[in-house]
Amino acid sequence: MNYLVLYHLAALILFGLGLYGITCRKSLVGMLISVELMLNGAGLALVASSRLTPALDELGQLGTLLVMGLAAAEATLVLAIILIVSRRFGTTEIADIATLKG
Amino acid sequence: MDQLSGIHPAYGLYLVLIISGGAVAVLARSLVRALSGLIITLFGVAGMYLLMAAPFIAFMQILIYVGAVTVLIFFAIMLTRTSEGESGSESGSVGRSFLGIWAAAFSTLVLAAVVVRHMPKAIPLKPEASMGRLGEFLTGPFALSFELISVVLFVAMAGAVLLGFERRKAK
Repeated sequence: MNYLVLYHLAALILFGLGLYGITCRKSLVGMLISVELMLNGAGLALVASSRLTPALDELGQLGTLLVMGLAAAEATLVLAIILIVSRRFGTTEIADIATLKG
Repeated sequence: MDQLSGIHPAYGLYLVLIISGGAVAVLARSLVRALSGLIITLFGVAGMYLLMAAPFIAFMQILIYVGAVTVLIFFAIMLTRTSEGESGSESGSVGRSFLGIWAAAFSTLVLAAVVVRHMPKAIPLKPEASMGRLGEFLTGPFALSFELISVVLFVAMAGAVLLGFERRKAK
């Protein structure tokens, strides 16, 4: 056990919480929040790996920056999709979003 | 155990922030409370970046995530609030949440076992990478990804605007 492992375990906790949220949340916004949790875990693992090993420092930090940019783009697009879905179906509960019955 | 002495006591505080905030974000019935939990988690992760002497990433985390992404999610909550009160209630079946716990716990435990067993030796914290060095890297080896991320951001924003306008034409 060293402190590199500790940071990676914190990132894994974020990943696990996000995965549980994605599977169990009943609304699209809740799933979006869970995805943000998982992306944060990924960023934490990247920075820890680049800061605490002999790897190149800038690689992890800029990679995390790109992950943040992608998360912002993804949140924008998901917001638009959630708006469309709520207009068309009148709800964002995933159980009600179905046009086929079965 | 002597390696653990290198850890700062603030790590525990940030870990508590991350776990409690993440639990609120995943379990809270009210989506606004879940969003507050997410914000607490984001601050905890930013604190961990500061502990690893990466202040640029820490402040970017606060700027981009706490400043922009949470506001976007808050707009999503605000604009889709249905008349029957709080959306996102967790009154689902027990089997579903059991399966969720099982999936999350299994994958997390497998990854944790790999991490604990095969992690390379950590080195003491390197001196902090200067902003100038990060900028050189971003315009040198990372130039293509830097340009691509701007294109992705532009396309996402333009697509969101386009999706938003479509309804008015259909009306």
